[in-house]
Amino acid sequence: MNLKISALEFVEEIKTGNITVEEFTAKTIERINQVDDKLHAFLSVNNDAIDQARTIDKKIKSGENVGVCYGMPISIKDNMCIKDTKTTCASKMLENFVAPYDATVISKLKKQDAIFIGKVNMDEFAMGLTTEFSAFGPSKNPWNIDHVPGGSSGGSAVSVSAFECIASLGSDTGGSVRNPASFCSTVGYKPTYGLISRYGLISYANSIEQIGPLTRTVKDTAFMLNLIAGIDPNDNTTIDNKNENYLEGIESGIEGKKIGIITDMIGDGIDPEVLTATKEAISKLEGLGAICEEVSLDMVKYSVAAYYTITATEAGSNLARYDNLRYGYDFPVEGYEFNSYISKARKNFGPEVTRRMIIGGFVPSAGHAGKYFLKAMKVKSKLTKEINEAFKKFDLLIAPTVPIQPFKIGEKIDDPVSLFLVDINTVTANLTGKPAISIPFKIVNGLPIGIQLLANSMDDKLLLKAAYALEQTVTLPEVPI
Amino acid sequence: MVTTEEIEHVSKLMKIDVDNHSEYLEKVQTMISYFDILDSAGVESEEISMPEISIEQLRNDEYIPFDEKLIEKMNHYKGTYVRAPKM
Repeated sequence: MNLKISALEFVEEIKTGNITVEEFTAKTIERINQVDDKLHAFLSVNNDAIDQARTIDKKIKSGENVGVCYGMPISIKDNMCIKDTKTTCASKMLENFVAPYDATVISKLKKQDAIFIGKVNMDEFAMGLTTEFSAFGPSKNPWNIDHVPGGSSGGSAVSVSAFECIASLGSDTGGSVRNPASFCSTVGYKPTYGLISRYGLISYANSIEQIGPLTRTVKDTAFMLNLIAGIDPNDNTTIDNKNENYLEGIESGIEGKKIGIITDMIGDGIDPEVLTATKEAISKLEGLGAICEEVSLDMVKYSVAAYYTITATEAGSNLARYDNLRYGYDFPVEGYEFNSYISKARKNFGPEVTRRMIIGGFVPSAGHAGKYFLKAMKVKSKLTKEINEAFKKFDLLIAPTVPIQPFKIGEKIDDPVSLFLVDINTVTANLTGKPAISIPFKIVNGLPIGIQLLANSMDDKLLLKAAYALEQTVTLPEVPI
Repeated sequence: MVTTEEIEHVSKLMKIDVDNHSEYLEKVQTMISYFDILDSAGVESEEISMPEISIEQLRNDEYIPFDEKLIEKMNHYKGTYVRAPKM
């Protein structure tokens, strides 16, 4: 049985009766058992998956209505709540937390008969871009297990890339879907802010984060978006997408579209191989009839500092709820005064989360807010103006997803600024609320390079069309695991 | 430059008990020093734009019952109360 099929191919295979859901699910679990010791994509595997698959097979056989996922095995980043399932956020703080409700994206996929094959690894509370900050150990890049898979949705990207599931949901606060997608050679999508409900996503930086799919193909991303996008009364930041069908017209091409090449994202610090790949992508887009010209977004050079200032501030506030009384691990209260108990209990946060909470207390504090937080917010506003101005001239923008290729595990862990700068090309979409996608484009020295396209808010459909067009120009080797 | 005392103070405010301050100090200092780049962004006169949602767009302020007793899921639930540390 071929596990390497796309989501749309899977649906066809099930509908035509070539395979059963049970067979595919069993084979997927066998694959996880085979490779996940090496890769560590999964934090938990769904023990009921086979039973759920049998139930869906029965529904298909008896001619009952079946959801459009037809039992598709999907992995879920472990910061999204699935009722009665552990949701750890890759943190010792939530090691035993069992979610009492479903996130909206989960309810929507359940209705469509998706099978959640397991919860996948991430940087603790999504703070990181390598998964090295997971309290349960890093995931490994399936292209070369000595290298990081990217993050924070590293487990999502690894599980899709290594054929341990068909698709995955991650969350993207500053590139956390697109970065691992680029490092593991999968498609990774960050939608327009508000397009997908965040209800049931454990909060890190609410004002900029979004849930997004990671898939093998752009069409699969459009398929997933059709299922999970749209307004949700439980998340007031969601927007009405009028039930847009993102698959419809996806093959219509990009003839005549104007694409801006963000010069600030291909300058200092970019790997020569990544620059070459970007130029090749531009020339392929031109070959498809697009018109590509350079554009500058001056605020990009300040975007990483603004991003970390804003996210640390929001994280400091969001993580205040972890007092080990409402959520948490087994730590007896006897013998402690209230404040000292909470401080002691919160020692279970890992070092990166602790650092960011300290920063999150410092940068918005009286006496420092003017220098840090308010300036960061002003950079965010100015960057938004600049990108809105760019979209008056261009339909789309292009840049490499990450300016460097996947690096070795441990290589940057002690150099926070060097790690920060890995985010330089991805945070702009989050700070400005624009949709962005990473498309697998090239493998150099055995490691992937992804190309990023951005569109104006609510131009998600156009973005997917362009991504599909670019995707059709490349043929990539198979992951060597 | 951030001082050890400032980090200790902020840690206390954030209710974080850090054993080895110097371990955190170096990285936190490096991170915050990097943020000094914001000084050269020239955004002093920039207005901060915030998204606005009108009250009509918000869902009705109605009680939505939850089908489980969430209190029972708390760490130190004792049948009729939750045990908390002394104030």
